[in-house]
Amino acid sequence: MARINFKQYRLVIALIILSSFLASCTSSATSRYFGQTAAPQDNVLRYVTGSEPESLDTQFVTGQPEARIMMALYDGLVEYHPKTMEPIPAIAESWEIGTDGTEYLFHLRKNAKFSNGDPITAKDFVYTFRRGLTPEFAARNAYLAYYLKYAEAYNSGQSFVKDASGQFLLKKDFAEPNPNQPAETAAPSQHDTLGGDSEFHRFLDSPERLYVPSDEKARAKILEKDAKLKAALEGKELVPVKAEDIGIEAVDDYTVRIKLYQPAPFFLGLLGLLDGIEFYPLDEQTTMMNLYKAGRVDALYNHTVPAAWNENIRQYKDEYLLHPEVATEFYVISVKKPPMDNLKVRQAFALAINREALAEFRKTIKPLTDMTPEGIFPKYEEARKKVYAEKLKENNIPPEEWAKRIFDPEKARKLMTEAGYPVQKSGSGYSTPTFPVDKVSITYNTAESNKAVAEFVQAQWKQNLGITVPLKNLEFKTYLPMLSAVEYEGFGRRGWVGDYMDPFTFLGLFYTTVNEGATGWWDPKYDAILNEANNTVDPQKRFEKLAEAEFYLAQQQIVIPLSTAGTSWMKKPYVKGFYPNPGTMHAWKFVYIERDANKWDANVDNIMKDSDPAVDAQISLLTATQEQMEKSKTTETDKVTAAAAE
Amino acid sequence: MLSFILRRLLIIIPMALLVVTVTWGLIRIAPGNFYSSEKKLPAAVEANIQKKYGLDKPWYQQYGIMMLNILKLDFGDSLKYQGQSVNEIIRRHLPYSATVGILAYLLALAIGLTAGIIAALKQNSAFDYGSMALAMLGLSLPNFVLGPILVLAFALGLYILPPARWGGISSLILPVITLAAIYMAYIARLTRAGMLEVMRSDYIRTARAKGLDEKTVLLKHGLRGGIIPVVSFTGPALASLLAGTVVVEKVFAIPGLGNIFIQAVLNRDEPLILGIVAFLSILIMIFNLAVDISYGFLDPRIRYE
Repeated sequence: MARINFKQYRLVIALIILSSFLASCTSSATSRYFGQTAAPQDNVLRYVTGSEPESLDTQFVTGQPEARIMMALYDGLVEYHPKTMEPIPAIAESWEIGTDGTEYLFHLRKNAKFSNGDPITAKDFVYTFRRGLTPEFAARNAYLAYYLKYAEAYNSGQSFVKDASGQFLLKKDFAEPNPNQPAETAAPSQHDTLGGDSEFHRFLDSPERLYVPSDEKARAKILEKDAKLKAALEGKELVPVKAEDIGIEAVDDYTVRIKLYQPAPFFLGLLGLLDGIEFYPLDEQTTMMNLYKAGRVDALYNHTVPAAWNENIRQYKDEYLLHPEVATEFYVISVKKPPMDNLKVRQAFALAINREALAEFRKTIKPLTDMTPEGIFPKYEEARKKVYAEKLKENNIPPEEWAKRIFDPEKARKLMTEAGYPVQKSGSGYSTPTFPVDKVSITYNTAESNKAVAEFVQAQWKQNLGITVPLKNLEFKTYLPMLSAVEYEGFGRRGWVGDYMDPFTFLGLFYTTVNEGATGWWDPKYDAILNEANNTVDPQKRFEKLAEAEFYLAQQQIVIPLSTAGTSWMKKPYVKGFYPNPGTMHAWKFVYIERDANKWDANVDNIMKDSDPAVDAQISLLTATQEQMEKSKTTETDKVTAAAAE
Repeated sequence: MLSFILRRLLIIIPMALLVVTVTWGLIRIAPGNFYSSEKKLPAAVEANIQKKYGLDKPWYQQYGIMMLNILKLDFGDSLKYQGQSVNEIIRRHLPYSATVGILAYLLALAIGLTAGIIAALKQNSAFDYGSMALAMLGLSLPNFVLGPILVLAFALGLYILPPARWGGISSLILPVITLAAIYMAYIARLTRAGMLEVMRSDYIRTARAKGLDEKTVLLKHGLRGGIIPVVSFTGPALASLLAGTVVVEKVFAIPGLGNIFIQAVLNRDEPLILGIVAFLSILIMIFNLAVDISYGFLDPRIRYE
């Protein structure tokens, strides 16, 4: 057993560096393409997707490697737009949204079929949602569907409370200030009649029922704290929440109705032009680069170009895809422990990192000063610009100073001195002798890239503040519980990949007391702004509210944003319709193999701007009905407005 | 002899259970669990998972249930790879490791033994110095260096062999050579040393004095004694070769057991870790037993009561 130990595993990393060094010496940049480049004989894409898939059950898996395989195996109500990742029709050919944004009606294609020929009907979607939320199934991502009415109640084994007359107790009568539960919209929403009325529909639209844990012990715990509830429950019957109570209904064979608690902040196929995809479960970077160079695979997943190869690889303009990603890297701060409980100390550390130099050093990232990634949500960034300008005026912060958040060592030293740790000039650098350096450290999970960033930040702080913060690295699964219990001191490394294309997937990290952000910080004011935002139907106004929350967060400086990640992967030029979208989630129905070398992709820096007639044709096939419906709706509104004008 | 073998075989069972228990304890002490990720799960979801996998029971109950199942040779399902039993995963991945391992073992044995014997017979000759220098190089060149060099030359330079992945005989050549190199070197050196020592011993002199020809002396009397150190080395070595080696499996993307084992540890996949640990420990104990038995055949002076 001596042959299998961690020391050797670490050697694998050494191997990557060594072999990549060797490889970068030998490969010449004279040829246009990297290694062997010839379109495969058959119409089958060979794609490296990352580690061994956990399962082929869509509702069990949580990782990206699996998700990419799932997208080739199953279709959904909607599909990702290949470039923007916005939802476009898939099995649902069109959809309608209710007036308050909590109700969705999906119209399914009547010709959608399972691989055995059975038609796909609304009941199948209802079944799928119920299955994923079954407590015994224990899906790790079940909470992503908690937006559906009573989904959480069912998934966490709760019961409704029925009194002797058969009436159910309502939640609003026991409104307790629970920070984990977004407040129910104050005014009862008007009854939407999308897709007709039904008893179940009225049930979903009625005020939310009260529910308590079915488990006696868990219930006793809650009742202990709530005398009013305890009294109310006396002698009442408990009716367990069933799968049938979840807010999804098959209105008819081809219509699905979904009822949410609050307006959806987001919403979300198969091979169209390919005959097949071979997924290679590989996660060793050097190995997959070798396979790619030898022409044995056609494309890789994201972050697969080893750092040492980058200089060489980026010359291959027709193959190397470096575009912004819906992913960020930042350091969280353990804000409860001194000296990091002092806002000025936190700000000083944040300002003392030259993020532009970091980006240049890491090559695949962009500097970041906010919580949400740069260049991913253009409409949100527009709203944020406006809100920030207002807020700066309100708080008397000069815009130049705000812009210098990216790197401002002088202000950092000033803040540190003000916080009671005077920064002195010593020789060519600085020193802060009174700062309790033994109380802080940069903790990160073991990975070559995390180490490089930590060392860079350490050097920056030493140079600009005269403080040498020690580094600590831990194996990933050991690091996680330390993070979530906020046991680390000072700074902890985090990377965050958005679950969906909306800023909330980042801002929500610090929402409620769940402490997902792992800083120990929680502020009801922040929650209130986010709740307000998520109950706003108008998307641009909602963005403005979210921006307000982000500004508030920035002022608390509970994290030190470092960078927006870049996709950094390669594909052979003959693979087309394959885009470096922000989530590296590929809608395979748009991918194809081009045999005519004249039509191969060239200079993929512009790939997101260039249009591809073959892809556009595929997209319009899917979106036709939805577009038609929206068009007819606008003409109807026009008619109404015209009539009103008369 | 028979009672010796029986005794040793019987001892394997409690030993394996002890190994499993210690490993189980170590996994439980290690922080983190199989379902944790960067995303924090809501309490309700975590509770569902705990219930599903019986983690809500007290530890001694969990241990008891696990041990009872293991006695029935049922390691349960992997926590990471849903719906796949540990036995199934081992059965699926073992052939890959074993194929590469056995081929590498045979290659190492063939070349190592030949080189060692010739070097011993022609002590201090050019062949001796040459082969031993090569062996020294083989020993000091780790496989994570040798592998990529071979890939660079044959897969990316000449484009004649695949750089990685399983598929056809051509894909076996590079990993087998990479894996065999270090064992080959070791066996060559052990054989040479063993042979040199034996060839100077009294019974070889006796054999020669009897008037046996040099070939018989060498192959019948010399080799049997000379390869005893090689046998004691290759027994456990074969066990670890069969079980897969992480580095070679990583470099050449071979879906073997070694890779799965490391992933299982990183994933905190308890049943899979325990299954592989139990399997490996039994394998090693059996090979050690085989080595001990073979001593009796190789060296008439060794007897088992």
